[in-house]
Amino acid sequence: MKRRFNILGISALSLMFTITMDVSAEGLSHEQVADMLYLVISADRAVYTQKVVQRLTEEEKVITASEYFDDDAALPLPAQMFRFGSEYVSDLTEEFSYSLVSLDPINKKNGPVTDLEREGLEFVADNPEENFYGEEKLGGLWYFAAVYADIAVAEACASCHNNHQDSPRSDIEVGDVMGGVVIRIPID
Amino acid sequence: MLGISKKFIFIWSWFLVTLIAIVIVGVWMTVGGNRELLLVGQTTDAHHQIEVACETCHKAPIFSRPAAAVKAMNKACRTCHEDELAKSDDSHPRKKFRNPRMAQFWDKLDARLCTTCHTEHRPEITRESAVTVAMNFCIACHSEGDQDVRLIRTSHADLSFDTCASSGCHNYHDNRVLYSDFLVKHAQTDWLTQRPVHELTRQARLAYNSEDERLMHHDAQAPSAALSNPAILRDWADSAHAINAINCTSCHAPAIANGSDSAGVETVWEDKPSQKICADCHKFEQNTFRKGRHGMRQHPKIANPRDIDGKLNSYGLAHITPSFIKEWFSDPAVPMYMTVAEARLPMRSEAADLSVGCGSCHDPHSVNVAYAAVDACLTCHDDMHSEAYRKSPHYTLWLAEVAGEASLGTGVSCATCHMAKVERRGNLVTDHNQNDILRPNEKMIRPVCLDCHGLKFALDSLADDELIKRNFRGRADVHVESIEWALLREREKQDD
Repeated sequence: MKRRFNILGISALSLMFTITMDVSAEGLSHEQVADMLYLVISADRAVYTQKVVQRLTEEEKVITASEYFDDDAALPLPAQMFRFGSEYVSDLTEEFSYSLVSLDPINKKNGPVTDLEREGLEFVADNPEENFYGEEKLGGLWYFAAVYADIAVAEACASCHNNHQDSPRSDIEVGDVMGGVVIRIPID
Repeated sequence: MLGISKKFIFIWSWFLVTLIAIVIVGVWMTVGGNRELLLVGQTTDAHHQIEVACETCHKAPIFSRPAAAVKAMNKACRTCHEDELAKSDDSHPRKKFRNPRMAQFWDKLDARLCTTCHTEHRPEITRESAVTVAMNFCIACHSEGDQDVRLIRTSHADLSFDTCASSGCHNYHDNRVLYSDFLVKHAQTDWLTQRPVHELTRQARLAYNSEDERLMHHDAQAPSAALSNPAILRDWADSAHAINAINCTSCHAPAIANGSDSAGVETVWEDKPSQKICADCHKFEQNTFRKGRHGMRQHPKIANPRDIDGKLNSYGLAHITPSFIKEWFSDPAVPMYMTVAEARLPMRSEAADLSVGCGSCHDPHSVNVAYAAVDACLTCHDDMHSEAYRKSPHYTLWLAEVAGEASLGTGVSCATCHMAKVERRGNLVTDHNQNDILRPNEKMIRPVCLDCHGLKFALDSLADDELIKRNFRGRADVHVESIEWALLREREKQDD
């Protein structure tokens, strides 16, 4: 199973690299590159949520999904898969990075850590249909940053966040903005 | 004499000696030669075994930019330790900190680099687990704003940061038994489980005792001279090798055993096969042995001596350089085996000349795993924990099992805890890398302790240094409050 995840991860990464390298060569803006990366990231996440987690846990009922998937011999939660992918990318490249953050994070480390993150999260919370773009300096380098709304697309998303003992919110409903996806691309 | 003063002679002599010294050091640094004199401080833990092979860690070319040198050095750390960190489900992996959103922490404690906390050659500041920063390092990231654990956890409100990693509550890398959910799940376990058996060890010992394919004395394939040694023949016939249909030729004449040579066994017979022959079948054991302290000198990533001939050739000096100069400027190779005398842990003086290879613990004919699991260790190790083992309840259980008076897997040998059985691709094998289940010692809890003991008992016992010295004879005088605090947090959340 681990190898299959690796193959999937490498395929997704290859596609992302192709996007960042090729479209930059054609003169696409950072904003367009970020939007395309977001499409890949969000598509992978949606497919995992619907075709793997939702199908096997709710429809087939052959396995559960758990935060402690190792101990429980269960599937990782979609948010965990997202973070594993994000860390996988960080391990391989500094060409771009992405994160899942929230104004009401279950794990405090996933709260906003820069002014831009906070501003972006507040913007997409108020304007779920729109994206937020900006630039910020981190660790001595300038980055283009894009923030996309992360919406509770299924009942499982809302109930998991509402019932988690570390969650500061218990009133999330399907369709609510739970946080945001932040994509960063170094400028020059 | 000729008007040359003593002062003049002294100054020029001093200048010449200095110049020669600079040239020699320069040649040692850039071409070759034993650089032990240039070691700027003692290396950490067992790294002294490989310290003459400087390029193992100092991978960047000598005049590289400092940033490139540090990057290359950290890559070297990962080359040897990455698997171990992955197995430990590392709580602070490098990849987590490479994301630029973590930049605010880079100046406080740059967790992207191993060398931030583990600096080599600094014995004066080296602490347990080769940590070279102050032990309150958690303060860098967990003491401010939303990350302030004193605000997030009411149980932590009055704690200082110098006890996070030394109290038995947290580790920087391996927290597989030290997170809330696990603590709560195992909160109510008794000190001893209902069936105190180390299951993987039981299964492994059961496999040793299988008689299905057993070879007997008369099955031995060997030259008549070898067959004439009854002691060796008896050892082999009683061994796990004979039980598992491993004949004499498998090690002494593999070409015969695998059918690639039909010549007489005498013609291809090797009296003393090398360690490589063990690895042909015991690959996992070899791989883990080379990653552990006993066999790290055989790690495939240890740098080879620099190529003095190649260097001289490139300068056009190969033919005119006398051989004694070449010898003087040749790197010493890392010996294949460590001798007991070289160990930094307390060892028996009478074992000083022994070296550590497969045959040191495993007699090649009897392959007596009971001997390898206890007696072999105590042949060399002479620290208080080892000394106390034969007075411990674990040893009593071990004796009972070896005598056939107790069930398989109930005995606790040195190897049960320090070279644990693991399952790999459906086979039970022995992990020969001690680091996989030791340092910090909480690593041992999941794969070993919990088969027989409750979590609370195990946490307390492993936090009590005096109890460890007594080899767990008696009860812990130390109590780790993690479980109570995890339960408190559960109650607080429910009340909310």
